[in-house]
Amino acid sequence: MALSRRGGRSRFTLVFLILTSLTVITLDFRGDGEGAIGSIRDGAADALAPVRDAAAGVLKPVGDALSGVTGYGELEEENAALRARIAELEGSVLRDEGAEAELAEARALLDLDFASEIPRVDARVIATPISNFEQTIELNQGSDGGVAVDMPVVSGTGLVGRVVHVSGTRSTVRLITDPASAVGVRLARSSEVAVAEGEGPERLLSLSFVDPSADVSVLELVVTSGLNDSIFPPGIPVGRVAVADPSPGRLERSVEVRPVADLATLQLVSVLQTGSR
Amino acid sequence: MTTATRLPPVLLLAVMVHTAVAPQLRFFGVAGDVLLLLAVAAGITAGADRGAAFAFGAGLLADCFLQTPFGLSALTYSLVAYGVGAFQSTILHTGRWIPMLTTLVASTVGVALFALLGLVLGQEHLISARLATVAVVVGVVNALLSPLAIRLLRWAVAPPLAPGIVH
Repeated sequence: MALSRRGGRSRFTLVFLILTSLTVITLDFRGDGEGAIGSIRDGAADALAPVRDAAAGVLKPVGDALSGVTGYGELEEENAALRARIAELEGSVLRDEGAEAELAEARALLDLDFASEIPRVDARVIATPISNFEQTIELNQGSDGGVAVDMPVVSGTGLVGRVVHVSGTRSTVRLITDPASAVGVRLARSSEVAVAEGEGPERLLSLSFVDPSADVSVLELVVTSGLNDSIFPPGIPVGRVAVADPSPGRLERSVEVRPVADLATLQLVSVLQTGSR
Repeated sequence: MTTATRLPPVLLLAVMVHTAVAPQLRFFGVAGDVLLLLAVAAGITAGADRGAAFAFGAGLLADCFLQTPFGLSALTYSLVAYGVGAFQSTILHTGRWIPMLTTLVASTVGVALFALLGLVLGQEHLISARLATVAVVVGVVNALLSPLAIRLLRWAVAPPLAPGIVH
């Protein structure tokens, strides 16, 4: 009898917690990340910022060593890939010069300069993601510095991602490799329009909606398209085509893109002050 | 000291480790989930009922630092802690390895459940080829840390002693 009563109470607690969770989730969806729940997140991020900064400073060497040990196989592969890449680059200097010309040509064709006229906030990357599911970075600039949600973030070489969360002193940037990221792009040479979607860390971006008959070549530059009121201004370099399979008989061509920005070693980035909401 | 006074420092310590230390120490690119570990440990030490309630609080704290819907971790952790607590109550003899094994399985299941519930809530990106790696690494790391977490939780949320029993 007592056990039954205890079991009933236990189930009541579980049902209560499930309902409360669903209520909180609903409130978050309705508030679209703002309101009371947004304030809670902002407060938590700001409150723990000094602790996280200190821990990052102290533990980064240990973390790097750990990554080196557990990722030894990957490092070997990366080393081999880099050697192959060097050989490839050495053998194709002329082609690279052509690519530079292509870039300049693409910019001229699109009548765009790489975001030079857009006001920007320079920021330092201060933290890696807490979650194992998100490809994000944290910047040392927040709403106090003029950063707002949906602003594009670039490095010296190209697109990094977009701001998805801002507190007073920090902001979170979703990288273009995050599986939740989708960027409208244009292939610079063929002018083919597509969507570049993230596939996770250390993986290439995949292009969707590429016409199977499109003339896509490896190393072709991919830039943001800026179409359909995109939050990304047109003409920002996103990456270069790394794989362009013909995919015969399929409705779209299989194209993969290597980001031009080295997302693993970012230290300084610029937040473009456009597309804020 | 009562549970009410022991819990806040334990939770604060866990949040600091979860947000500041764990992300710096990654195995195969995956960090341990300290707050999920705490939720599982709460299920083991405090039972289904109290464990789920504690796990709910730990989950809300985890949600403060994620871009996923607020409450998703709270829901996941509550279910995991409840399941662990219910399972724990069916075991008559507890060897030293059972809590570690329980943590390994519960943490792995917890990661998968988080992704699955996220999928239901429109977070399709949580389901990826990397999910299995994340779930297994989190399970193993949490299992290795479980003796420490269980000891901490036993101190913080263990059931009150019956009247007349003195340590």
